[in-house]
Amino acid sequence: MNDDSGARRNGWAALTSVSQGILAIEKVVAGLLLALLLTLILLNVGTRMLRMPIYWIDEASVLTMIWLGFIGASVMIRLRIDFAVTLVQDNLTGSAAQSLRAVVSGLSLAFALGLLVMCWMWMDPLGIIGHGFDAESFAAETFNFLYTERTQTLEWPTWLVSMVIPIFAATLTIHTAANLVEDLRLCPKREQEQMTTAEEAN
Amino acid sequence: MLTFGAFTALMLVGLPISIVLCLTAVFYIWSSGNTVLFMSFPTQMMGGLDSYGLIAIPLFILIGEVMNGGGITKRMIDMAMAFVGSLKGGLAYVNLLANMFVSSILGSAAAQVALMSQMVVPEMVRAGYDKTFAAGLTAYSGMLGPIIPPSIMFVVYSVMAQVPVGTMLAAGIIPGAMLTVAFCVVIAGMGYVYNYPRGPRLPWRQRVLTVLRAVPTLAIPVVIIGSILTGLANPTEAAALGVVVSVAVGRFVTGDLRLGQLPRMFVKAGVLSAGILFLIAGAAVFSWVLVYGMIPQTVAAWIQTVAHDPLTFMLMVNVILLVIGTVIDGAPGLIMTVPILLPIATDVYGIDPVHFGVVAVVNLVLGFLTPPVGLNFFVAAAVTGAKPGKMFLVTMPFFLVACSILILLSIFPVLSTFFN
Amino acid sequence: RAQGAKTYRLGITTPPGHSWNVSAEALAKRLSEETDGRLAIQVFPSNQLGNEGAMLQQMQSGALDMAWIMTAELGTRVPSIAAINAPWLVPTTAGVAKLVRHDAALKLLDVLPAKTGTIGLGYGITTLRVVFTGAETSGIEDIRGMKLRINTTPAYRDFYQLLGAAPTPIPTPQVFDAMSNGQVDGLEADLDLSWNQRFDKVSKTMLRLNALFMPCVALVSARSWQTVPEADRELMTRLIREELDKQVDSTAATETTILKNFSESGIKVVDVNLDNTADIIAEYDKIWLPKAPAISELREVGATL
Ligand code: NA
Ligand code: NA
Repeated sequence: MNDDSGARRNGWAALTSVSQGILAIEKVVAGLLLALLLTLILLNVGTRMLRMPIYWIDEASVLTMIWLGFIGASVMIRLRIDFAVTLVQDNLTGSAAQSLRAVVSGLSLAFALGLLVMCWMWMDPLGIIGHGFDAESFAAETFNFLYTERTQTLEWPTWLVSMVIPIFAATLTIHTAANLVEDLRLCPKREQEQMTTAEEAN
Repeated sequence: MLTFGAFTALMLVGLPISIVLCLTAVFYIWSSGNTVLFMSFPTQMMGGLDSYGLIAIPLFILIGEVMNGGGITKRMIDMAMAFVGSLKGGLAYVNLLANMFVSSILGSAAAQVALMSQMVVPEMVRAGYDKTFAAGLTAYSGMLGPIIPPSIMFVVYSVMAQVPVGTMLAAGIIPGAMLTVAFCVVIAGMGYVYNYPRGPRLPWRQRVLTVLRAVPTLAIPVVIIGSILTGLANPTEAAALGVVVSVAVGRFVTGDLRLGQLPRMFVKAGVLSAGILFLIAGAAVFSWVLVYGMIPQTVAAWIQTVAHDPLTFMLMVNVILLVIGTVIDGAPGLIMTVPILLPIATDVYGIDPVHFGVVAVVNLVLGFLTPPVGLNFFVAAAVTGAKPGKMFLVTMPFFLVACSILILLSIFPVLSTFFN
Repeated sequence: RAQGAKTYRLGITTPPGHSWNVSAEALAKRLSEETDGRLAIQVFPSNQLGNEGAMLQQMQSGALDMAWIMTAELGTRVPSIAAINAPWLVPTTAGVAKLVRHDAALKLLDVLPAKTGTIGLGYGITTLRVVFTGAETSGIEDIRGMKLRINTTPAYRDFYQLLGAAPTPIPTPQVFDAMSNGQVDGLEADLDLSWNQRFDKVSKTMLRLNALFMPCVALVSARSWQTVPEADRELMTRLIREELDKQVDSTAATETTILKNFSESGIKVVDVNLDNTADIIAEYDKIWLPKAPAISELREVGATL
């Protein structure tokens, strides 16, 4: 093995390290979001019983659940425990199975990149910067009203609560790329903590 | 047609189903040339989860985590043992009955089968049951989880069909009871044919003690169902209260739950529930793109040329779903078929959405038990070491009985809509 | 539909059979007839293309050509439009039918292109909204202290808060359950929906406040409208307005039938005493006039109808 390929291997390993770092953060955030969700729902029961229902709690809890969904999904894809039809994969062995796994990771990466592009088109960061963050004039010119809108009851900026999608697109890109380099054996597979249900019983 | 080919190919290579749905949507937008839809793709994904009812899903999964980690499920199995353990084929009934208790709390089949396989199957093997039968029976008992309320699949359906979550959950009561009774009958028959062993006859004193020890755990279903019935809470809030009660029971009654375990349970439940949520987000984009392409309308027009009355339609739906269910089980199957079939069912054939939902859910839950992809068998196999294919053959009577019940449910709407 | 017809997409939140959908379907039929199949409209009911926010976004990008969007949604985004959702502009549904065709109301739509990227061609209406209460009630003062399910829009929230209620948003499919198991003490809705959902079965009293109504606006995407030839635009505008006119008139006419249904169902129907509403109106206008100055003109016009 020459120095050059060794360096490249380190480069790939750096990618999986970044992915592992993000993964660790995502797990903590997912746990915290679920805790927040539980708190909001219980708060709703409590305040309603006291006849002081809080108007924005429903919207806040739905938004929390949405963030939980996308951040957790990013974790699941990295851990490869998402629902999938593994019929063909299970009946292949050795290098054929390995290649198929690489195809799956490659396709996932393609989607992640596609989503990133769609988010870029939708949020048009250069456009809003070009208008000096003037949402009104940006909207008038582009017919994109994302930055003028607010949510219904919290009345928070819509773009802010929607940030979970671009964040998801970015982490998904890194995770699926990490999966791909592992499948292509460009660097060693990272040990992952198991989260599937079957393991629970062992 | 090309899209359908792409869809099938992506599915078969083992791409996560949620990403299959998203990628197919991208592909379809691309090939239809209506590329302006890409601008709305991210919002549409997010919009798919913009529904209050879905919040129940992570909470139900959290209850499952707490119950399993808190020794609560174990108490319920002991209680079932005290009730029916001494009958002929006693442990088989225990398996079923314990599953029924747990079903009233857990919303997911996989979680339930994993747990039961670990706790009941070794005991059955020790008592002299065939391991494959024991594991197969557990897989079938696992059918009860997503049917007896609460059920994640019914929550998912109610959100898609815009039916109240509570109504949909209640609709599972009769079908769940029918399956339980029918499976008991099968066990009795098989027990007679294969001469199943009796369980040990526990002294009455011990039986009473076991039941008393388990009674507090019943607080969990009582709080969940009671808070809905009394109007204290809606199903989502009931799930939240259920979390609180199961933590309390695990901490103060069984004592097996350490509060230090909780953070890990929250992380795990959060991540696992995301699997279903992301699937729903993917399905939202997928069905939105199909609607733009007028696919559901086209399918509806075709179906109308074949099925002329509601019953024929229902039977046809059953065949379609059973075929789909061989490969795609449970919630994913539901998510992919409901957007197309439900509007036809309600608008063309005047079928009650609750009735349709019960039939679709029971059918796709049966998909957990059909080869080549049968999640319940796989989970039971992973835990016990029995062979999935053999399990399917040994438990064939259960399959036939479940199919018969499915036909009854299709023919008689009242079995689903009785509590409406 | 003729082969090669130019098909426009029209999105709508309500299910087939609702009078808004009826008007959309009639529009589609007439457009196809009057152009000998050259133009067509495909109606997507029941939020098939997404909720109202999503449909607005699709109209902004040009993916969706038209939609009937409620002023609740528009008023959340553009407060000046919420003027039409102010309480007690007109006392009867017949008055509503006149008000939404008056210039004062139509003028509100002028800001839409700049503020939402859509063009408003006119209003459809629903009947005046009523309040159902789980316990027996007899007047507006009984709303005080109630947990009340409302349609989520800032105008309604502020109004019901002024009446002393604690407004809470619950999605429409779950309202019936929430009411029957007591999660809320009351709800407010229009008469059509209330009869469809049979809210009388979970309530003791129906209070007719005659305060609010919820119009929808027939919107076309400014982006896709640019690509429509001038003559077709005129034709479509004319047909849309004619169909909306029919919808408005028929809604005013069905109100009597629905009211009769309710009184026959046995629920207590109260026409609330509105003598002491001046204070509430003054309080409301203090909040809303700065955001929606058109309210004062609408009140003046409303008083003459
Ligand atoms: Na269950
Ligand atoms: Na299957």
